[in-house]
Amino acid sequence: MENFIWLVPALPLLGVIINTLLGAAALRGSHHHAPGDSHDTHAADHGVHHDNGVRRVGWLASAMVGLAFVLTLVMLVQLLGQEAKVGEENGRFFDITYWQWMAAGDLRIPFGFLIDQLSLTMMLLVTGVGFLIHVYSIGYMSHDPRPTRFFVYLNLFIVAMLMLVMGNNFVMLFLGWEGVGLCSFLLIGFWFEQRDPPWAATKAFVVNRIGDFGLLMAMFAIWGLTKNAEGGALHSLVFREVLAPENVGSLQFVQTAFLGTQYTAAGAIALMLLLGVTGKSAQIPLFVWLPDAMAGPTPVSALIHAATMVTAGVYLVIRTAPIFELSPSVMNTMALVGVATAFIAATIALGQYDIKKVLAYSTVSQLGYMVAAVGMGAYGAGLFHLLTHGIFKALLFLGAGAVIHGYGDEQDMRKMGGLRHKMPRTFATYMVGTLALAGIAPLAGFWSKDEIIGHAWYGAEGGATHRGIAIFLILSSMLTAFYMARQVAMVFFGEQRDKSIHAHESSPLMIWPLIILAVGSVLGGLINLPGLHPLTSWLEPLLGEEAAPFHVGLAAVVMVLALLSGWAGFTYYRRAERRIKATHRDPLHRWGGDFYAIFEEKWGFDSLYNAIVVQPYKYLSNVLGKAFDVVIIDGVVNGSANLVGLTGRGLRTFQSGYVRSYALMFLVGVVAVLGYFVLR
Amino acid sequence: MATVIFYLTAIVAILAALAMVLSPNAVHSALFLILNFCSVAVLYLLLRAPFLAAVQVTVYAGAIMVLFLFVIMLLGAEKADLGSEPVGWQKPVAILLGIVLLVEGGFVAYRGIRLPDMTAAQANDIGSPITISSVLFSKYLLPFEIISILLLIAIVGTVVLTRRDRAHLREEA
Amino acid sequence: MNDVSTNAYVLLSAILFTIGVVGVLTRRNAIVMFMSVELMLNSANLALIAFSRARAESDGQVITFFVIAVAAAEVAVGLALLVSIFRAKQTTNVDDVSTLKG
Repeated sequence: MENFIWLVPALPLLGVIINTLLGAAALRGSHHHAPGDSHDTHAADHGVHHDNGVRRVGWLASAMVGLAFVLTLVMLVQLLGQEAKVGEENGRFFDITYWQWMAAGDLRIPFGFLIDQLSLTMMLLVTGVGFLIHVYSIGYMSHDPRPTRFFVYLNLFIVAMLMLVMGNNFVMLFLGWEGVGLCSFLLIGFWFEQRDPPWAATKAFVVNRIGDFGLLMAMFAIWGLTKNAEGGALHSLVFREVLAPENVGSLQFVQTAFLGTQYTAAGAIALMLLLGVTGKSAQIPLFVWLPDAMAGPTPVSALIHAATMVTAGVYLVIRTAPIFELSPSVMNTMALVGVATAFIAATIALGQYDIKKVLAYSTVSQLGYMVAAVGMGAYGAGLFHLLTHGIFKALLFLGAGAVIHGYGDEQDMRKMGGLRHKMPRTFATYMVGTLALAGIAPLAGFWSKDEIIGHAWYGAEGGATHRGIAIFLILSSMLTAFYMARQVAMVFFGEQRDKSIHAHESSPLMIWPLIILAVGSVLGGLINLPGLHPLTSWLEPLLGEEAAPFHVGLAAVVMVLALLSGWAGFTYYRRAERRIKATHRDPLHRWGGDFYAIFEEKWGFDSLYNAIVVQPYKYLSNVLGKAFDVVIIDGVVNGSANLVGLTGRGLRTFQSGYVRSYALMFLVGVVAVLGYFVLR
Repeated sequence: MATVIFYLTAIVAILAALAMVLSPNAVHSALFLILNFCSVAVLYLLLRAPFLAAVQVTVYAGAIMVLFLFVIMLLGAEKADLGSEPVGWQKPVAILLGIVLLVEGGFVAYRGIRLPDMTAAQANDIGSPITISSVLFSKYLLPFEIISILLLIAIVGTVVLTRRDRAHLREEA
Repeated sequence: MNDVSTNAYVLLSAILFTIGVVGVLTRRNAIVMFMSVELMLNSANLALIAFSRARAESDGQVITFFVIAVAAAEVAVGLALLVSIFRAKQTTNVDDVSTLKG
């Protein structure tokens, strides 16, 4: 089977190629209209044909991802069939190098895959959730004018994401890292004829670039500074070479100075990697792009900006854990960044009226949980939450998409209400997702979130505790329950506030993925159920983590707090329903006042960045555009053109058409050359 | 004796060349050029190159110049340069540069080259047809063959260039 | 028999060459220009044969032989061109053939 593992990314790539080449033809359909047809039947016919085309294109794309998922499952079975450990070493992995990708001097970059417990887990999430979202998109994009492009991008994203998690070296990871960034850009800006999406896409791309810079710097440093056991330069970027204990340890003894402070190389690299993580996984200070990214189609938000791409940062930390382990201070910083993000994003989610924005900030907040977890060294817990969150947040986004789709593309929650009667199945699945996110037992979110909080409160066995972090995580968890209750109350309960919109349930093609994901959200806790700990023991040969004990008391307290908070939120918004109007601020504003305004204003992050980065940059661009570009650049360009023109005009006189004049020139040359030899 | 012949022939060659250039009639120019070629052939004999002297007279002064005269007669182009000089400074500049070139040439002739004059005995045999042909057909065999192809190309080219268009001919007829 | 020095021959060659050059540059009749070119070639031949004697080798004379052969070919083609031009323009004045100017 390991000989066929390349098929996993190759299949979606095939989908990209086929749909790129044949998608337009599939959409055009094969039917030709008779010239006498009336205009109306034309339009109707066209709609049917368009639908068929979308189905053809969409099912092909989905099938490719589905097949990749099946292959990954087979791979899982095979890995499970191998010895977990060979001596002290991890036994369940394949490191396959296909060819040398690039070579320059000492630099050797192989093109190869590393399939181990971690990458396989990620692959399952990417292809599994990816498949469901592909299927859902067939329904969601049925009326879009450019479905082929959408599915091509979506497939391409899957390819890039698989490259990211499967690559056996940093450059492959970076290839995927940039690839998903590109697809994210393309898909956020998918509706480029509207006002916001292009800006949001650009913002996402630019902000991500800062993080990518960190990752690049880290790669350079790793390549340049890692030494092998003999003390010579290792000059490798292959994970299994760089991260081998005998090599990675050398980073601790290399000192680098930066801005007047001495760092160990490990610390500097870890800090750079952390910058990359904050960019891709939307952590403070770089989280601002993710909420804006909701301008893209909702399946994109579900797949890229909730379930998979944004978790790449967490994957990166777990993959390069040996480097982070060498630098406890960076680990602490990461944990603090994570918890701060979790808390702040949760508060901002309170102040949003857009159904997708709430979920976006919720995603940022949950990513904060994961980053905090891996920052505390709880890699298993972080990955566990990554998986469950991938499932239930995909469910929530797809549910929100179903609401938007069935509610006339309206996204403002203040105009909704009472939709549980109109969309019963969407409502039911959405409730499952909400409860899972809020951390209510026995749904998925409860187990994974509790594992993180438990790890923070009690610490790893023999390790330090992080009580402060734990408290803020619990607070965030209460906020999560509150804003989700608020959302559910505003969207599904009460009266429909905008009577002009005809609400309807979505097509089965969109509902079935919701149901499957809902089942996943219910059963997701089984992935790492306390007592059994399948995930932790599956990862144990790789990460060397022991299963953490389950703390019933803490879990109960956290859950009761979440329940109380959720109940409070629900009752409050049910009571205040009459005061929810599209033109009014949130009822909570009466109580929260300026604090609530802070949440509404997203703690001023966007305004701050606008003031200190965007405006000065625009000003500088303006100045350069008017002064430098026009005067100097244009001057040089036009000047050189004029110079050539003038020279040509001058030299033209020499070409008189008289052969004898040319002969005279010739003679001048002869005399000059001969004169040179005579006078020399 | 040889010196006297040299100077006499040289003067004839120079005068013939000047007359060729200055003569207003192209037919006269051609005849002066033949005179120049013949006097140069005499110089070849002095330089112990009898074979080339013969070639000079037969090919150059004979065949080539006959061709010239034929074309002049054919085109009726024996008249002097027609119309006025379109580039006024062409002639003075040309003469000036010619003088400079001559000075440079003289410098090269007396200062630039350092060649010992061979004794008569050594140089006796280099120009006989036997010597020339043995070198021509051994060391220079390949260039010789290439020259033959070149001449063939020239023949074909000449035919193509001077041939009138058949369609054109039919129209005239 | 005391030989004239090679230098004298080379000087004569230079004089003839210069006369040829001036002829090419000043005459406007294409046929006379052509003849001036032949004069230049001839002067070069003279220098070659003088060198051949100075070095006591036949190579210079063989090259002169080649030059004459090439000159014959050149004259044939050149005169054919002149005939074509004359057919097209009814002139042998090179200054009338100046449409290719910048």
